[in-house]
Amino acid sequence: MGIEIILDKCTGCALCVKACPFNAIKIKNKKADIEANCTLCGSCVESCKLNAIIIERPKLSNKDLSEYKDVWIFVELRGKEIKKVSLELASKAREIADILGQRVGAVILGEKVRHFCNQIKAYGVDINYIAENDNLINYNTSNYAAILTGLVNKYKPNIVLFPATHIGRDLAPRVAATLKVGLTADCTGMSIKDGLLLQSRPAFGGNIMADIISPNSRPQMATIRPNVMKINNPDFSLKTEIISIPVDIDEKARKIILKKTIKTTKTGTKSLDEADIIISGGRGMGSPENFKILEDLAKTINGVVGASRAAVDAGWRPRSDQVGQSGKTVSPKLYIACGISGKIQHQVGMKGSGTIIAINTDPEAPIFDIADCGIVGDLFEIIPALNDELKKNLKKE
Amino acid sequence: MKIIACIKQVPDTTEVKVDPKTHTLIRDGVPSILNPYDHFAVEESVRIKDQIAEVSVTVITMGPEQARSALMRCLALGADDAVLISDKKFAGSDTWATAYTLSLAIKKIGKFDIVFCGQQAIDGDTAQVGPELAQQLGIPQITYVEKVEIDEKLKLTIHKQTEEGYQILETKPPVLLALLPPTSFQPEHPPMSSILKAKKKPFKVWDAKTLGGDESKFGLDGSYTQVIKTYTPPTRGECEFIEKDDIKQAAKKLSEILLKHEALIKR
Amino acid sequence: MVDYRFSEEQELFRESMKEFCKSEIVPKTEKLANVRRMPEEIIKALAKFELLGMVIDPEYGGLGTDVVTAGIAAEELARADPSCAIPVLFLVGTSWGHTIDKYGTEEAKKEILPKAIKGEQIIGIATTESDIGSDLGSMKTKISKKGNKYVINGEKMYISGVAEAMEYGGGHVTLAKMTPEKGTRGMCLFYLPLKGTKGITPTYVEDIGREAISCGGFDIKNVEISNHYLLGEENKGFYYVHEGYELARGLIALVCVGAASKALENGIAYIKERKAFGRHIGKYEGIQFKLAENYVRIQALRELAYKALWTYDQEIQGKASRFEVSMAIAMAKSVASIWACEAINDVMQWQGAFGYTKECEDQKAWRGVRSFTLAEGSTEIMKLIIARELLGKEFLAYR
Repeated sequence: MGIEIILDKCTGCALCVKACPFNAIKIKNKKADIEANCTLCGSCVESCKLNAIIIERPKLSNKDLSEYKDVWIFVELRGKEIKKVSLELASKAREIADILGQRVGAVILGEKVRHFCNQIKAYGVDINYIAENDNLINYNTSNYAAILTGLVNKYKPNIVLFPATHIGRDLAPRVAATLKVGLTADCTGMSIKDGLLLQSRPAFGGNIMADIISPNSRPQMATIRPNVMKINNPDFSLKTEIISIPVDIDEKARKIILKKTIKTTKTGTKSLDEADIIISGGRGMGSPENFKILEDLAKTINGVVGASRAAVDAGWRPRSDQVGQSGKTVSPKLYIACGISGKIQHQVGMKGSGTIIAINTDPEAPIFDIADCGIVGDLFEIIPALNDELKKNLKKE
Repeated sequence: MKIIACIKQVPDTTEVKVDPKTHTLIRDGVPSILNPYDHFAVEESVRIKDQIAEVSVTVITMGPEQARSALMRCLALGADDAVLISDKKFAGSDTWATAYTLSLAIKKIGKFDIVFCGQQAIDGDTAQVGPELAQQLGIPQITYVEKVEIDEKLKLTIHKQTEEGYQILETKPPVLLALLPPTSFQPEHPPMSSILKAKKKPFKVWDAKTLGGDESKFGLDGSYTQVIKTYTPPTRGECEFIEKDDIKQAAKKLSEILLKHEALIKR
Repeated sequence: MVDYRFSEEQELFRESMKEFCKSEIVPKTEKLANVRRMPEEIIKALAKFELLGMVIDPEYGGLGTDVVTAGIAAEELARADPSCAIPVLFLVGTSWGHTIDKYGTEEAKKEILPKAIKGEQIIGIATTESDIGSDLGSMKTKISKKGNKYVINGEKMYISGVAEAMEYGGGHVTLAKMTPEKGTRGMCLFYLPLKGTKGITPTYVEDIGREAISCGGFDIKNVEISNHYLLGEENKGFYYVHEGYELARGLIALVCVGAASKALENGIAYIKERKAFGRHIGKYEGIQFKLAENYVRIQALRELAYKALWTYDQEIQGKASRFEVSMAIAMAKSVASIWACEAINDVMQWQGAFGYTKECEDQKAWRGVRSFTLAEGSTEIMKLIIARELLGKEFLAYR
């Protein structure tokens, strides 16, 4: 089948039984026995301490490659909502699937996820593969990777797209390595060329772009940078299919235990990687209290406040607000940099923004090299004045 | 306890510039450095020695001959021995082939407890080799790790960064940890005495033959992804400066620009 | 062919040194304007990075490296502090610490070297007096025996590090006459502690450059020191002091390279930006000729300097003679300050009126390297040494 138990080595310890999310292993005559519903997800291989399980994935011929159909997305949730990037992925998947004449599939894992299918369908998802289990409420690499790998092996999608979020960048390479397929990271562009997925992504700190293909392996996998792909206009009248996969997660078999989750971002605000408008403050802000003028402006135009490394190092803003090489990479439609010099390390994190506005007292500040519009002046005078002007005009609407 | 730290020597991408006429990367004169994320990973792995007894740190890299200087730097930072995995056959490796090659080297080193690596390299920016290596070694992974603590019973307490804050996780070896430095991280510059000690530490060089394994999985041939084109991203235009002599006028002009912007219209 | 490469350790050290300078020295140079005394935090930073005992025997806490490696440190420190104040602290401590290590009594070495290496006290050099510089044989300071002590009377002037030694602790390697009728064959080299020594009265002058390290002198009135501070043998001081001078001169040549290289870098950035008559001034031939000429000279100086220090190392290993070292060192120092001054002067000239203001960084470098036509041996004396080697002793000037 592709999976084999080496009976001489197997002692019937049943670690593999605990690890299998699909309940596809039973102990028979004191040896492990693989059942027909095995999805070749590989969890058992990793759990076996005696190397008694082998999975073989043969190289695919051209004929085999053509059997892989449909464009899948991994849907990432955020608490009780679908993360915005999942809608971007669905929209892009729809566009690609239409060119290929294939369907869009969505994989949703969690505690209770069925109701999300009715939301995501509006962006063009034809079929939802869901797995619901109390123990899936928090992301866990081995559980999520096992289920996803199993689904891919069973249903053979042509393309699988993940968000380039913390979870996506943890999950996608694990799955890709198990399946022995190509994975492209942090794509900002995607299209079809000669029937293959053409993946465009930045490298060298954003100094170059690379076009990448994965011609000889399926599925073709990629992670996609949030806030880049356009979201379709939703159509809630669209029909969708739901396939629910029964899974059994043994929490005690987990090797990594989540003890505590701490949130440092403000509740109710959008996250930086979802924001359309970001107003960032740097060393020029001078103190944590001074960030209030940026927060006021953010409130007026429905933006989110970010920070440069200097402001985070000084302890004025939390690390989760940091934009830059050692912080977050963002691509809002509008980025307003206040009192930020704009060193390369900061630019790397925001130069993909639609429009960049910079306010700095130093005319030589490197931020002006990438800004579309700038004022050489005192942000403490300009930002409040700007806020007043905008409030005046927006009230008229 | 045996720790293996995987590192990469990279061009300093904050120094790389783009030729404005030909739109190609100017790589001349760009210094090669130890990938900053890996630098932090090595310092953290050496710090484990302060927390429990009998720890040895082996630092490895897959790279050309000149990657030796990055390994020497790691030895000067406190690693105990180094292995340079180098062969023309490894050229053109994508993340999968790199992870495969590293996994062979680690299996050859023998029994290990923890693999440390940087979250990503500043040239490739993929953050994929860590998890792919963990999968090939058959061990769990934790990415976005900012801090590692260990006790005598080898219980690891991990401080992991999330988009909204952080998590505290617990685990035991074997495990792969992908690290990214906190903003307070100041990379150590080893003094001469550490450099002199580094010269005396064991340094091995392994080629493809020494590693064994399946040659068809090395390098370009073993890579599932192919780069078909590289180009420079379009440059942004010149900055339009608004005169600030009259603050009110300047603010008014800027607000007009913003009000017309789609981000505000659709907000 | 000659292998001009540095060793792997030296290359690794240079890389680490550059990072150290970038993160710990350059930011501190802003505090150096006009302080007239080296801030303690800088001395401690140098000590922490193991820079204050590089060539000293590990038995006393040093690293025991060769002097070429010390030269790398000198070059990089000068690049980071082109005003040359920090490089001077480094090179004086290194050279004269080396002399103490070579010729000091065990008791003196144990007392002085570990503390100096930790940055707790200073080692300086005091040979110059108000009325004598090159003509050491005519110096007025005298030393005589008194039981198991020595008594010294006289004065020293134009000495670096007097304030630092008086305040933080430490002293100066000093030369004085024991047997005047024997001229240069009757001189003693010894360590003179300054802080807390009865009879030492300091005085200060303001150098036109290297402001962050003090310059001054001290009156020596019936000062008594224990005889364990004698370096080498009585009456042979003139010969020992030259070994110390030579190491200092070799390091000075590299300080000139570092400061001038930094200035040229600044100059290159400037001429690529500044426009006159419709084009970048870097496009004009006249500017390019000056750039090329200065660059060649500084690179040639760099080769001369490292070769000179390498020759010094060779002598320590018994593979080169005293005279070969004197020649190589004199060659490097004879042109070091002049060529560095010329390069920096041209960089200032490119910057026009701005180059004449205190805001221009390069004028600090000029004022710093200008001191090296006289410090640790004048340019004129260097030329006499070279000529002596070429012509033979019979042609010694002023004989």
